[in-house]
Amino acid sequence: MAGLSPRVQRTRRGRYRLRLPAQERELLRTLPPQLRDLLGTDDPALGRLFPPAYRDDPERQAEYESLVSPELSRERLDAVSVMERTIDATDLSGEEMTAWLGAINDLRLVLGIRLEVTEELYEQGMPEDDPRSPAFAVFAYLGWLEEQIVEAMASGLPEGGQDSAEG
Amino acid sequence: MGTTEAPAEVERPAGREDTEIDRPWVVTVWNDPINLMSYVTYVFQKLFGYPRARAHRLMMQVHTEGRSDVASGTQDRCEYWCSRLHAHGLWATMRRD
Repeated sequence: MAGLSPRVQRTRRGRYRLRLPAQERELLRTLPPQLRDLLGTDDPALGRLFPPAYRDDPERQAEYESLVSPELSRERLDAVSVMERTIDATDLSGEEMTAWLGAINDLRLVLGIRLEVTEELYEQGMPEDDPRSPAFAVFAYLGWLEEQIVEAMASGLPEGGQDSAEG
Repeated sequence: MGTTEAPAEVERPAGREDTEIDRPWVVTVWNDPINLMSYVTYVFQKLFGYPRARAHRLMMQVHTEGRSDVASGTQDRCEYWCSRLHAHGLWATMRRD
């Protein structure tokens, strides 16, 4: 997909310009509802979206899960709703772009788990006759789009940072 | 992914209480084959306020060594960091140092 025009650009005012061809929008449009449906289930792929914080302490983990999981679910559903609402937009606020990034990353995680993606597979691609090939194409496309969203959003971060996570 | 390591034994002066301050908690991010390297760097910058170079270094450590300790502090603070990392789809765990 090299040589294609950039899909996402950050403006000087901190907004995001989305230039998506119609067929890409049509594909993207189908995805948020699938993520919403999945979030209401106990599908094993969701384990990747809600991993344990305490690996060796079931009691603390149960407490963490009861505190955190409902909030994480709500945030994920909110991001899905924002992406659906703005699916035809060409101009997004920072908040809306953040929601797209979150929903797209969640979709990649779920697809990646289902496809049993490995680093080798990601580099080499999948044979066209593999039955997983169409889903892998969606996965690869989402990765390509996400790279551009991340690049655009990272350009809006302060270079020096604030070092707030220690002490 | 690697196996779980036993927490390192830390020598403590005799007679002191085992407090949160003595043994802070540490948040570890583990490698996974799905998250983009650029995305992981971005999340470290955004959540922790780390400069880009430092966020990139931590991401590379996750990628090449399989894990990296990205933040430390009280249990509450580390639970908060874990939950934010989980909200961003990163594979984070916490342990007492």
